[in-house]
Amino acid sequence: MASRTGRHGAARSARGGSRPRLPLRLLLPLLLLVALVAMLMLRGYVHSEILADHRVQPPAATTDVPEKILEGGPVIDARGGRTESLSVPDHRLVLTFDDGPDPTWTPRVLDVLKKHDAHAVFFVTGTMASRYPDLVERMVDEGHEVGLHTFNHPDLSFQSKKRIDWELSQNQLAITGAAGVRTSLFRPPYSSFADAMDNKSWPVTEYIGSRGYLVVVNNTDSEDWKKPGVEEIIRRATPKGGKGAIVLMHDSGGDRHQTVQALDRFLPDLKKKGYEFDNLTEALDAPSAMTPVSGAELWKGRAWVFLVQASEHLTDGLVVGLAIIGTLVIGRFGLMLLLSGVHARRVRRRRFRWGPAVTEPVTVLVPAYNEAKCIENTVRSLVASDHPVEVIVIDDGSSDGTARIVEGLGLPGVRVIRQLNAGKPAALNRGLANARYDIVVMMDGDTVFEPATVRELVQPFGDPKVGAVAGNAKVGNKDSLIGAWQHIEYVMGFNLDRRMYDVLGCMPTIPGAVGAFRRSALEPIGGMSDDTLAEDTDVTMALHRAGWRVVYAENARAWTEAPESVSQLWSQRYRWSYGTMQAIWKHRRAVIEKGPSGRFGRVGLPFVSLFMVVAPLLAPLIDVFLLYGLVFGPTDKTIVAWLGVLAIQAVCAAYAFRLDREKLTPLISLPLQQILYRQIMYVVLLQSWITALTGGRLRWQKLRRSGGVSAPPPGADGVPPQRRPGAVDGRRPVG
Amino acid sequence: MTTPPFDPARPVPAVPTAPAASTAPVPAASMPAATRRAPHVTAPPSPSPYPSAAPVPAGPAGPAGPSESAEPAVPRQKEARRGPVRDRYFDLLRAVALFRVVLYHLMGWAWLPVVFPSMGVMFALAGNLMARSLKRPAVQVVRSRMRRLLPPLWLLGVVGVTGMVLQGWGPNEDGHPGWWWFHLVYWILPLSDPPFAESVPGIHGILGADWAAELGGPLWYIRAYLWYVLLSPVLLRALRALPWLTILAPLVLSAAFQFGYLNLPGERFPSALTDFSTFGACWILGMAHQEGVLKRLPRYIVPSVAPVIAALGLWYAFREGFKTGYDLDSIPFAQAVWSFATVLLLLHVSPSWTEWPRRLRRWDRLITLLNSRAVTIYLWHNVCILIAATLWDQLWGFDVLYENVPWLLESPWPVLAIAWLLIGSCIVWFGWMEDVAAKRRPQLWPDGGKRPAVGRGGQGRRDRPGAGHRA
Repeated sequence: MASRTGRHGAARSARGGSRPRLPLRLLLPLLLLVALVAMLMLRGYVHSEILADHRVQPPAATTDVPEKILEGGPVIDARGGRTESLSVPDHRLVLTFDDGPDPTWTPRVLDVLKKHDAHAVFFVTGTMASRYPDLVERMVDEGHEVGLHTFNHPDLSFQSKKRIDWELSQNQLAITGAAGVRTSLFRPPYSSFADAMDNKSWPVTEYIGSRGYLVVVNNTDSEDWKKPGVEEIIRRATPKGGKGAIVLMHDSGGDRHQTVQALDRFLPDLKKKGYEFDNLTEALDAPSAMTPVSGAELWKGRAWVFLVQASEHLTDGLVVGLAIIGTLVIGRFGLMLLLSGVHARRVRRRRFRWGPAVTEPVTVLVPAYNEAKCIENTVRSLVASDHPVEVIVIDDGSSDGTARIVEGLGLPGVRVIRQLNAGKPAALNRGLANARYDIVVMMDGDTVFEPATVRELVQPFGDPKVGAVAGNAKVGNKDSLIGAWQHIEYVMGFNLDRRMYDVLGCMPTIPGAVGAFRRSALEPIGGMSDDTLAEDTDVTMALHRAGWRVVYAENARAWTEAPESVSQLWSQRYRWSYGTMQAIWKHRRAVIEKGPSGRFGRVGLPFVSLFMVVAPLLAPLIDVFLLYGLVFGPTDKTIVAWLGVLAIQAVCAAYAFRLDREKLTPLISLPLQQILYRQIMYVVLLQSWITALTGGRLRWQKLRRSGGVSAPPPGADGVPPQRRPGAVDGRRPVG
Repeated sequence: MTTPPFDPARPVPAVPTAPAASTAPVPAASMPAATRRAPHVTAPPSPSPYPSAAPVPAGPAGPAGPSESAEPAVPRQKEARRGPVRDRYFDLLRAVALFRVVLYHLMGWAWLPVVFPSMGVMFALAGNLMARSLKRPAVQVVRSRMRRLLPPLWLLGVVGVTGMVLQGWGPNEDGHPGWWWFHLVYWILPLSDPPFAESVPGIHGILGADWAAELGGPLWYIRAYLWYVLLSPVLLRALRALPWLTILAPLVLSAAFQFGYLNLPGERFPSALTDFSTFGACWILGMAHQEGVLKRLPRYIVPSVAPVIAALGLWYAFREGFKTGYDLDSIPFAQAVWSFATVLLLLHVSPSWTEWPRRLRRWDRLITLLNSRAVTIYLWHNVCILIAATLWDQLWGFDVLYENVPWLLESPWPVLAIAWLLIGSCIVWFGWMEDVAAKRRPQLWPDGGKRPAVGRGGQGRRDRPGAGHRA
């Protein structure tokens, strides 16, 4: 059955005819979005972009800290109510590295340690361990110990007990996921020597001890993070008089080449002095601090690490996608501005002519389905045309008396042909068979022409190579917000997109609202086809493949009525985007063919696919990153970048409006369009993709058939029509 | 303020430092309550919104005879013939605004005025009605407006000032007896804020010590309203000549105050002008709506522009350190911009309901009551909240409750319920004054309940499909 009625049916069902389908069509895009957002949140989380706390407690009094702790060794054992300090025996040195693992410096530190056969302790943060699990595994494999350094490095004295517990368990989870072990060593962030314990940090230390951890601070601080030079690092790290010590170093958080160089000299030097480099428990002659984990805990850890890895890779992929889309968008805008400028200059030259003036009469086909409301305006506007026309109204089984209205007008040169409801392509083919003249203009039943439209539209046929002409469809009802948005879209689509496609010779669509064809061009390709939901795109591509030129006539203006509700817009755009995909697929063989077909297939088709099907699919990335940037920062830069993109859009739109001699006021709704309208459009496209990839053909057949039994037309029972169906069918204006 | 005798056991949040920046100088003694609500009292009802919504059908007989809108149902039937019809959408906005004011004054949530800027909405609705009435001679309209506005205030003054004097307030309060007597005139004609006692003992266990400040706090609204009424004839003329310039002028004035281009001496004058500039744009927007200025714009303009303006206002508020206790009331310019944008959107949406949509029909009587007694509710609600909180705090004296359900004693929700019960009784005790002011037969409980069946059922069913929804 008819795609035309089919569309009508689709529009109705979207409004409520088949409720259960509504969530389904949203479900997949929604799931995708939720998954994406979850992944981005996870990434923001392990990159310390959320929940990070960079406050550091100023020094406090030490009255509550036991004397023996202040004067004791760097290993504080507060487990099970104990309050003891342990020191490293003489001639033993425990190197400790905080804040890692780092993808650049940790491997080098590990290499140096291996070279000198030394063991050390790495206090890793949960975020870094989750991101670089391989390095944690390597540490454990090479005999080093790992300890906790919290999940994302806050000063614990600011945190609640709940947060402390969480910091420890998340950190433990990451280590388990990476290396399959648990550890009982802990080093507090921003800690230093045992005698620096104060009234703020001691309760935290006690609490962590009560959770079963040994708290490890240090004896000598290399202060390598200040990058004081290799000599200085060595001087600070070396303990006096052959004593044992715990040395604080860092393998993450910036450039650590000084640390690596210092290690490479420090290790052999001190070895010569009789030092041993052990990990902590070796140095204390205690059982290892790490215990293997198995069962559910292990799998939980692995799942965590896997998810973090997935989110890392996903974001990398997204960034690549964003770069692609950015290039595409900017490139496309550049190309549009350039080529539409070229086109406008070309056709606006003073003595520009397509060829000899076309004055012969033409046939105008008006397929109409329940257009009682507007058919009179349509037909009268045609009769007022300053070009000789024959008007054929093909009534496609209307039930609201459309045909009778036209006949009742009794206008000369207007014929009505009735057919059983068979769809728009069939109606057009019937009109084509009845057309008296070689040039045929096609329009919609709800579109109004200016007196000069037909004349302007057919002038390009003066060039014998031109097989079809696209006119300039304009939104008549641009007063509402949704109307203004479509107005912007139409003006940009016609004045930038279509001019560009014209110059490139790959105009993908002649709008159903205003277009003209040579009958001699249409007949060999079999007229209109109902193979796709977008018969206008389909026929335009067929004409290209047959070697005809398709051009744009900017002054052939037609005023059409755009959908006024989101659901009507949705179903219209769904048909357009899905129909375009069908048409591209139908004409895919052009890619390998010879002659004009091959030229279109290898230049036009990829171009159209890229800009109409692939690029819009990546467009949501811009919004995803806008949100990500807004939430995780840098907020200011994100907003500036977004405003920059908006400014580019605004410039292009203003240029298009100027080319079309339109008032600029509707552009005031451009910012809002960017955060509401565009998103609807690509959810629609996403839905088309999903339809196409999941047995779309079947679904489409069903969709068309369900249209055949479309409900009684609005208007027939006295209820004012919500919308005129023809407007829903208004053909794609935007190439 | 709400609960001056705070039980020491109750956690008292930090007292915001922002003093009563604009109007209604709230004495420092009343600050504890400011933890729950901002010192600067918000949101107000339009004086006598109910009858005024159906403005006196300008009969040759002059100002409203007693027959004019004797009760809600009657005017509606009459107006069906006479012209203006109650816009139920505006009634809904007014009721929501009023409810929001009471809620905010109890809770003090900073986000409440952002979600719904009651004062801007109330002033816009009042401006709208004022413009509608001004088809009649200006002097007559202004006089009738004042007659509606002032008697309920006088009633409050009689009760309030008497109470203050009984509790020791007198001419020697601040050492200038002459000024004291002179300022009392503001209770009769509130061209400036009516004075009130800085500290009075209250009634232990029933009425907190700061009751006078609570009573006087909301009166800035009456003063601002009076000034708008007085200036309306001029504003309307300006609006007709230079619509958008007039609408935006108060915002410019507000910016001038905020950014310090304009500094005025004293306290009474700047506070009056700040309030005028803060909500002037809303009042004039209401007038513009009535005059059809907004309708002359393409429909896409307002939804495109208003969010941007609103975002600007919010951005400015956050830049200035928006938080609980330092909210829109403390940042007049942000308040002005945000209210302007919100009101612009609400007026743009304005569906003009002559009948309630089905879902709202069940709220009809409540909304009607709130509308009929808006001034009474507004004038008395603060004292009601204070009494409710004081009463509720008495429960801390019961150890059983204190030990077992401290959360209940700390919860503000029972206080809200009690406050509304008290407000209900104020409607009964003092509400009749609004009828007297409008020269109507006084009613105890004007919720439109006695409406003839025809008005609701029959008409409603017939009108349902078309109810004026604009796409």
